[in-house]
Amino acid sequence: MKTLLIKTHEVWLEMLMAAFMSQSENKQVLFHFSEILFRHFTWIENEMIVHGEAYDYDRDMIPIKVERLSEILQHTIKHLNEIDLQLLSSPDKALSHRISSDIRYMREVLGKMKDENVNSAFDMRRTFPGVPLSQEATDALTIFLFEESYKEYELIMIYNYLKAHSKDAYMNRIFEILIEESFFHLKSFGDMMAKMGILAVPRIVHKELYQVTDVVDFLSKGIDEELAAKEECKKLSRAVARDSRELESFFDFINNQENYHISLMKEALVHYTKEHHG
Amino acid sequence: MTVDAQLIEHMMNPQNYGVLKDSDAEGIGKNPQNGEKVIIFLKVREDEEGPFIEDIKFQAIGCTTTVVAGSIITTEAKGVSFERGEDIIAFTLGMLDRVPPEEAACSEMVAVALKAAMDTYVERQKDPDFPIITYKIQKNCQTDEGEKADENLVDQNA
Repeated sequence: MKTLLIKTHEVWLEMLMAAFMSQSENKQVLFHFSEILFRHFTWIENEMIVHGEAYDYDRDMIPIKVERLSEILQHTIKHLNEIDLQLLSSPDKALSHRISSDIRYMREVLGKMKDENVNSAFDMRRTFPGVPLSQEATDALTIFLFEESYKEYELIMIYNYLKAHSKDAYMNRIFEILIEESFFHLKSFGDMMAKMGILAVPRIVHKELYQVTDVVDFLSKGIDEELAAKEECKKLSRAVARDSRELESFFDFINNQENYHISLMKEALVHYTKEHHG
Repeated sequence: MTVDAQLIEHMMNPQNYGVLKDSDAEGIGKNPQNGEKVIIFLKVREDEEGPFIEDIKFQAIGCTTTVVAGSIITTEAKGVSFERGEDIIAFTLGMLDRVPPEEAACSEMVAVALKAAMDTYVERQKDPDFPIITYKIQKNCQTDEGEKADENLVDQNA
């Protein structure tokens, strides 16, 4: 099961990166497939917890730099085949059957997908289509996108881990919303990175970050981090404001979304403290 | 950070990022101010000239600048002798005053993690169960250069 979890984690990210690269009608299909693979990942994780199997979120680096979409899709199909083989030894036959059925369909669709040139996602030109940015604003945006795309991936993994290990429906509702919010941000930033020619897979998250032992401490620090993220958005909004009204308003929008995350985390903190510390 | 093509390459494809499952030694560089840290894993081979770094990997709990520093320094350190490794560490620590504070703290964290990993290896030749060494950094990435963090404490098994 451990290998199955790792491979599913890797192919989920590979599919997500393929979605970022694509600039055609393929994009939405690839996004949907990546969402399905993330769900597979959570089901396999749950099976491991049920069977008391130790696991973590370690994985290999995922090479994604390709010229054409078909190149990464060939890799993805190969990896889906490997997962399908791994499923044969999985103890939960119903789960295996469900995942295998999804894989069969995805392989078929990917195999027929119209090819496209995706080289522009990696050419490092760092210009945003239709938005002339100064060197200073370009550098600020570059650093922001690398920092925050990783951060959103990190948050998805942390909230997912917390959710997988919690039986508290109230907390899980909040974790689920925060996961969805982080997915939205990750998708926005990943698309921007591809448009600027700097698409990259977020680095592996260290287990110390998601294997949270003190939930109160984690939520308290998380609120501070969200406040810091708001400041980063504000700074970036100011940096790009002179050059692009469109980007300024996008980063103000992201900044305001952080308010909602903060209120959810405060809500979770109050609930958790009440439940666990009287 | 001044962003050039080389830096972007390290951001997009950080070299040697991850865990070495069969490492001979590990070391940690830690920023006591904010809890950020770098962990370095070494695979070491001995020859007639002494130990050399056959393979190296790192993981970071930190920012993009730390990852870039880790990518650059571990690339330099891969395949070199411990003696040359000490030179890389000394060179890195020697240039910290000439770079912006946030970059200095990140580079120092990687350099002291490499030092900690090499020192852990040396200690493990005497005691195979010797714990992972942690060195704390002196630079602070958030405040004035004059404001120093804790003394450079050796904190074993942290």
